[in-house]
Amino acid sequence: MEKVQLETLTGVIDKKMNRQLKQYIDICARCAICKDACHQYVGTGDFKYLPARRAELIRQIYKRYFDKAGRFMPALYEAREPDDNLLDELYDSTYACTGCRRCMYYCPFSIDTAWILSVAKAILIAAGRGNEMLGQLADAAIFKGDNAAMFEGVMLSGFDDISEEVRAITGDPEHRVHVNKEGADVLYVALAGAHSIRPAAVIFEEAGENWTISMFEAANYGFFYGDTEKARLITKRYIDEAKRLGVKEIVVPECGHAYRVAEFFYEAWSKEPMPFKVTHILEKVDDYIKSGRITVDKGLIEGKVTYHDPCQLGRNGGKFEQPRDIVKAVTDNFVDLTPNRAEQWCCGGGGGIVAMEEFKDVRLKSGAKKVEQLKASGASVLACPCENCRLQIEELNEVHELGMEIWQVIDLVVAAMPLPGNQKGAEATE
Amino acid sequence: METYLWITSVWGVYLGIAVFVLGMGLRIYQWATTPKSPVRLGMFPKPATKSGRFFKMLKDTLIAPHSAKIEPKMWIFAMIFHVAALAAFVGHLRILGEYPILPELLGGEHAMNTFAAYAGSIAGTLMLVGVIFWIVRRTFGPYKNLSVPEDYLLLFLLFGVIIMGDHLRFVYGGFIHADTYQEWFRSLLAFKPMFPEKLLSGNVGWSLGTHMLFTDLFLIYFPFSKLVHTIGSFAANYVRSE
Amino acid sequence: MSDETKVDLELDLKGLLCPLPMVKVSQNINNVPVGGIIRAVATDPGAMADIPAWAQSTGNEVVSADKQGSEFVFLVKRVK
Repeated sequence: MEKVQLETLTGVIDKKMNRQLKQYIDICARCAICKDACHQYVGTGDFKYLPARRAELIRQIYKRYFDKAGRFMPALYEAREPDDNLLDELYDSTYACTGCRRCMYYCPFSIDTAWILSVAKAILIAAGRGNEMLGQLADAAIFKGDNAAMFEGVMLSGFDDISEEVRAITGDPEHRVHVNKEGADVLYVALAGAHSIRPAAVIFEEAGENWTISMFEAANYGFFYGDTEKARLITKRYIDEAKRLGVKEIVVPECGHAYRVAEFFYEAWSKEPMPFKVTHILEKVDDYIKSGRITVDKGLIEGKVTYHDPCQLGRNGGKFEQPRDIVKAVTDNFVDLTPNRAEQWCCGGGGGIVAMEEFKDVRLKSGAKKVEQLKASGASVLACPCENCRLQIEELNEVHELGMEIWQVIDLVVAAMPLPGNQKGAEATE
Repeated sequence: METYLWITSVWGVYLGIAVFVLGMGLRIYQWATTPKSPVRLGMFPKPATKSGRFFKMLKDTLIAPHSAKIEPKMWIFAMIFHVAALAAFVGHLRILGEYPILPELLGGEHAMNTFAAYAGSIAGTLMLVGVIFWIVRRTFGPYKNLSVPEDYLLLFLLFGVIIMGDHLRFVYGGFIHADTYQEWFRSLLAFKPMFPEKLLSGNVGWSLGTHMLFTDLFLIYFPFSKLVHTIGSFAANYVRSE
Repeated sequence: MSDETKVDLELDLKGLLCPLPMVKVSQNINNVPVGGIIRAVATDPGAMADIPAWAQSTGNEVVSADKQGSEFVFLVKRVK
């Protein structure tokens, strides 16, 4: 391996090193308790997807260049240089990982494999092996941020169309998607699709919320790609917007990583305290229902309903109960998946894997446990507040002919609201 | 044999303890001086208070309830090994000096020796069971693929320590008791190393020497191996709840 | 104008939610020759911003982006 290239890659490790990472690398006993925690290993049986193995590749490089014992006796640790073989395997095991951290949950030492893989991504990017699709998605988002004026026209016309649909649902001629509203309390940072804005707008308007929509989407492919600078720039788009509008609170949509990025990562990337309260939209909705600001009727949703905890919102975000309370408010026929909450199986669609065609095969196989759970629940409706989860589960639904309806939670809420045109809320996901 | 004993059970012990203490100190120093992760790495559910997080950390580290849930077999053997190792460690403290109160409670020196013989035999056997389970486990499938020479070296050293410890326990346990080993070990601590007659007569010296040889190597390698999880796991499990 | 343009690949992206229309265009761009055209039809309004942004940041070209009823029709040219 060329010296310059090697120095670049070891430089990445040096730069990324921190106490937790070092401890994770030092203490893993390779006991492999994580093996049955990983949906990808369980679904494929492929050794490279065993969580401890994914981390082991980084450990091998670390031992070879940073650890005295490893330099002295590399063979003892199978320490080696980051050659093509290693980088090939690292690419597969790293970009396939959905970052669900179920392995961390069961690890006796709570080793965060996903955190170790954030270094793996940085190494791959430095080696020119970052995932191209995720990189392009990140760059497109940054381009939109840098050239906001260029897209303002299409955005506004899109919001106008959605406002029209909102009015058709609520029947109130005053209702609309608020844009660029200074002095709003809430900045709702949605996803790029109308499906993420329409039902939220219905709920905000019905609740009489003082809100405004962001010109940018909450999804962050820089995070999935593994480039913290790109990730920071993508998030910064709506942080700057929130500052300009003087809002009190940023509300993120039904998207798993968007919440985690805003609540847990942005401060570390930007090295400044998050100036706003970050709330998940389902926390707001739960509050609206409990305080009577919106009304939902039980009985409008047909069939047995179940709920999937997106890993980034549940295990990694701590929002277990609010979404369930919402679902239980719209139906008496609720059943939980087993296991659930912190032990919920990852659906297999996180980490940007749905955008990477090359991992389609492992992605579908890794959904085996989710399919098993869904079948066992006997439910016909699944509520799921994460875009990537829904894309994956919709595909599993088709491939395994489960015959389920997959809903956003806010669509379920709008459908349960006594409104003149409420069935329209569900159109997008049906 | 006396030369063998001097190498393994005097100079080896000094070297082993020195490397262990310095090595662990260095490892802790490295951890302490590396900046903390900029991102909060905790996961849910997590206690809201600092003391709640502290007790959860202790529970997660000492009982590993989540691991028990996903792989009960591994958890049982790991528990057997670790609890037995702790018991064996505590038992070995007798070579520093006799326990206070306990001998009187049991009814005299003889009863204490009998108790120690039983406790030591059980702990030594259970540790052996744990280590054999791990050796077998690492011989198959994904466990084998995941293993590196370090894993086998540590198991080999542990196996040596335990098998020779058990040998001392079962073969010589009837007539050599803690007081004899105490004489030897306290002479080391006083930097006036000597061996009591009892250890130099017969073949017990060869057994003790080999037990100590494995122990010395184990102590020397300990700080440079994954065994630093003995302390690191507390820190890592605390971060889980942060 | 679009009648005269030779289309090398048709992509039906109707029903796909953002950013998948952009993902599909990106995945297929290498399936047309340099200078070739992809005609993509999407229904998610977000594509109106996503696909041009993707084209700009990857150095490709959106020849046209039109709203036709509830559909969004893109002609994307592979530049390199």
